[in-house]
Amino acid sequence: MKQFAANPVYKFFLFPIGQILVFALGASVILSLATVLLAYIFKFNVTDFDLVERTMLILPQVIINGLTIGFVYSTIALGYTMVYGVLEFINFSHSEIFMVGGIVGIQLMAYFEHAGILATMNEYLVIALAILLALVVSGSLAVTVERVAYKPLRGAPKLVPLISAIGMSFFLQDIVRLILSLTTGEFNVILPKFGTFDEFWKIAIPGMEDPLRIQIKSVLIVGVAILMLIILNFLVNGTKVGKAIRAVAQDRPSASLMGINVNQIISITFLIGGALGGAAGVLFALKATKLDPFSGFFPGLKAFTSAVLGGIGNLTGALLGGLVLGLLESFSASYLGIFTNGAFGAEYKDIFAFAILIIVLIFRPSGLLGQTVGQKA
Amino acid sequence: MKTLFSDLYKKANTGFWPIAIAFAFLIIGTITLFQNPRSLGAFLILMTTPLVLYFMNMPMKIKVFIGLLLIIIVLPVIGIKNIFILEVIFQMAVFSALALGLNIVIGMAGLLDLGYVAFYAVGAYAWAIFGSKQMSLLYSIPGAAPANAEFFLDARWFWLFLFLGVGLAALMGILLGLPVLRVKGDYLAIVTLGFGEVIRVLALNLDKPINLTNGPQGITPIQRPPLPPEGVLMFFRSFLEPLVGHEVSEAEFYNVMFYFLALIIIAIVIVVATRLEDSRIGRAWTAIREDETAAIAMGIPLVKMKLAAFAAGASFAGAMGALYAANRTFVSPETFSFQVSIGVLTMVILGGLGSIPGVIFGASAVTLLNIQILQNFSLYLSDLRQSDAVIPIINFAWKDLSTQLDPAKYQKLVFGIILILMMIFRPAGLIPAVRRQRELGEEKE
Amino acid sequence: MALLQTNNVVKRFGGLTAVNKMTFSLEEGRIVSIIGPNGAGKTTFFNTLTGIYTPEEGQIKFKDHSLIGLRPDQVAATGIARTFQNIRLFGSMTVLENILVGMHIQLKQSAIDTVFRSKKFNAEEQEAEQRAKDLMSFVGLKNVGNELARNLPYGGQRRIEIARALAANPTLLLLDEPTAGMNPNESEDAIKLFRRIRDEKGITILMIEHDMRVVMGISEHISVMDYGEKIAEGSPAEIRSNTRVIEAYLGRGAAVAHEQKV
Repeated sequence: MKQFAANPVYKFFLFPIGQILVFALGASVILSLATVLLAYIFKFNVTDFDLVERTMLILPQVIINGLTIGFVYSTIALGYTMVYGVLEFINFSHSEIFMVGGIVGIQLMAYFEHAGILATMNEYLVIALAILLALVVSGSLAVTVERVAYKPLRGAPKLVPLISAIGMSFFLQDIVRLILSLTTGEFNVILPKFGTFDEFWKIAIPGMEDPLRIQIKSVLIVGVAILMLIILNFLVNGTKVGKAIRAVAQDRPSASLMGINVNQIISITFLIGGALGGAAGVLFALKATKLDPFSGFFPGLKAFTSAVLGGIGNLTGALLGGLVLGLLESFSASYLGIFTNGAFGAEYKDIFAFAILIIVLIFRPSGLLGQTVGQKA
Repeated sequence: MKTLFSDLYKKANTGFWPIAIAFAFLIIGTITLFQNPRSLGAFLILMTTPLVLYFMNMPMKIKVFIGLLLIIIVLPVIGIKNIFILEVIFQMAVFSALALGLNIVIGMAGLLDLGYVAFYAVGAYAWAIFGSKQMSLLYSIPGAAPANAEFFLDARWFWLFLFLGVGLAALMGILLGLPVLRVKGDYLAIVTLGFGEVIRVLALNLDKPINLTNGPQGITPIQRPPLPPEGVLMFFRSFLEPLVGHEVSEAEFYNVMFYFLALIIIAIVIVVATRLEDSRIGRAWTAIREDETAAIAMGIPLVKMKLAAFAAGASFAGAMGALYAANRTFVSPETFSFQVSIGVLTMVILGGLGSIPGVIFGASAVTLLNIQILQNFSLYLSDLRQSDAVIPIINFAWKDLSTQLDPAKYQKLVFGIILILMMIFRPAGLIPAVRRQRELGEEKE
Repeated sequence: MALLQTNNVVKRFGGLTAVNKMTFSLEEGRIVSIIGPNGAGKTTFFNTLTGIYTPEEGQIKFKDHSLIGLRPDQVAATGIARTFQNIRLFGSMTVLENILVGMHIQLKQSAIDTVFRSKKFNAEEQEAEQRAKDLMSFVGLKNVGNELARNLPYGGQRRIEIARALAANPTLLLLDEPTAGMNPNESEDAIKLFRRIRDEKGITILMIEHDMRVVMGISEHISVMDYGEKIAEGSPAEIRSNTRVIEAYLGRGAAVAHEQKV
């Protein structure tokens, strides 16, 4: 058994995939059961249709939506959690790194469209190129931001780099807006239409009238996100650099004494986190189809909530937290209106995340998978 | 060069010179502003007076005299002559009060509150809902208000709501703080940010199931507190009108009244904040900011003291919110965005965490930057756009400059740059806090 | 009756048992030391006493009241004050203010008193300030009341920390390595100060100390900890010749050599 666990194929491929599947399925099943239960409770509230039947009818769609956005949150959350693990610092500008990735990705597609070659190119190649560009741009932007705004503040009281990060977040939002409006005259960027991934796969399920409709885009987003997660898992747990990152996260002075170049490792952490954020930005752009310099704010906050929910500093926790939050958001957006007969609706889905954040922090501040660490006196 | 300058300053800072300089700024500023009411430069000259008063050596009595002359007589009179100036000063005062409140939370107690604007919103919406016709429109669709709706309360209730705003905001501060203040410092920032967004989203969406906030359209008209009786107004008219050279309208009196109300609130905030700072409570706050573990070992109950800081800071925002709603006669969720919270944070950071004069300076400077300097820059750019001017070397015609480039709309950029630069180069702010020096009565050795 | 009594106190961190079945009692009016090699669990024991950690098992009684489950501020209010191994002052407050913070528990001024500067407030503040000055001269700080605490040299900071702890009018003073980093002369002064604290103010002192000259010079009773357990206790003379103590500090060989010598 032990030998099997050490097998790299198992360790870096089968195990993470299994873990992702367990998390995704587990969270979906638990939330579905809870929702159906609620449907039975609220049944009396709704008279013009059968609430339970309606609930069941849209359930598969709700789960798919939730998982899609959940994987995007997970990918962003990894950036927060990695930086927090190494520096104990909330990288407030990570939401803008994510936004820049999305905008750069869309701009590349728009460039292809402008050059007239978008229609003739393989759609998956286009997306791969967009993601690659976003990886590079967001990764290097994150490293630059660290060098300029955080590195000079290492060792200062905790609030100081945090305030600098908030400043950086605002700065990046407006500087992107400035660049966009000076170059394109417009600061909304819209995903050009191409390819077939807006279409649906229809899967007939025996015993149900309507077939299950899965948008190809959703599968694409989930697939790419899983690929990223596996690569990250390998980077952190299977390489020398990963080992150094973990060492710095555990004990920076000791790691430095062991000959690890701490500054370099911190830069690499920002590079990886930023690159992941950039890729997530492109995935998010595929789903949202429209971005502006401020669209990083909410997904960023929710991804941070995911990181806290899962246990900040814990990579697996970020994955689980993102999935749970994505599903919760999708469920609340779809069912809040139905259950309360239209009194409250999807407009409250954004603040749902904060309610969860506050509840988690009160009852389990270390998150779902986090450990409580003793405070030193 | 540097020594020459500092020598000059030393000379200027002795004897009667400081008084002369202060009066010079006051008089030159007043005269130039009287002649060019729109001039930014003249306004800046005038606003240098309080800085001279703060930094240079002169007897306290004279400082107070010149200061009062400026804020009680010169500014209102110039404000009536040019309503825009009074607006700028009113905004400075509103943001100074907000910044002073936030300063208690972050500057003294070290709690990073990014949802501060929520308390401002609570005070504003409290008076907005009860001081408008909204209470009679609870069951009507936003925008489809019946014409015959009545104001729910008399305008005089405003005075009560000024205090209710304080209480409500403090209560919200405690309710939010109770669960949240147990969490670690940097989580607090995100949770309060979330809370600020929750309040904004509620304001945006509570037009159903009952129409409490009128949704994104906001609530208007909101009543203003009544002006003093006609006799009092006549008295002021009699000597104001010759000075400003035109009839003083009711709207102008309202503006002056709001200006004085804001001043009174600021005065109260300053007194309360300085007194709290120099007491058991304020020392406990600072101790918590410096080292929580040591503070709690000295018997300071962390959660209780943090709650007190939260509530105190929030209450000032609540009062200012009610005042703001009455002044604008309009509130909408847009006024209470995250950007405002960060704006107030920027003011506190720029001036100096924990420093009361610093915070007032920061609030005034950032407000001025926002509504005058950036605005002027925008106007200048649009003038350039309409001209045939060309940037020489790169041969760029100003005409081709994108109309999207409107500096007045780039406040976030300004806030961002200020925050980053201050943190890197001057984390204590432009006018850092100083600890009170006490009479020790120790024999020198 | 003992002033402080602990019974079988256990504190674990994950798999590590930092304090194991610690039974310890302290008579009022004494100066007692806890010694032991690095990592023996001495500071953890202090932190369990002062409420920073809650022990998994055992009882802690101070003046016959249980301290288990109290927050650190509540423990402080029962009359236990402490200093820290690595000095923890409020760096950007003045020396005098640091000491005033120590009086937090005693001061009774309310927020209303504060805002309106009532007579009660002014009188209390004046008295507190006077007491703070007295404490400063008691610990030997001169002409530094208005300095920021962080600007004082190391020895001065140690003194402020002690004055701040004394400001709380404690019955029991816990000192965590109070002479660490001091030269022999400074240590000598420190010993005198600790004696005066006990003799003039009647405060019981429990300290963790590494410097054996200090420990042997001042302690009336010594407890030795190793691997979270109390391995010996007694008078300085008894501890000096205790085989287990020598083993803990110097290893098995030294202990055997010692036994042979005896």
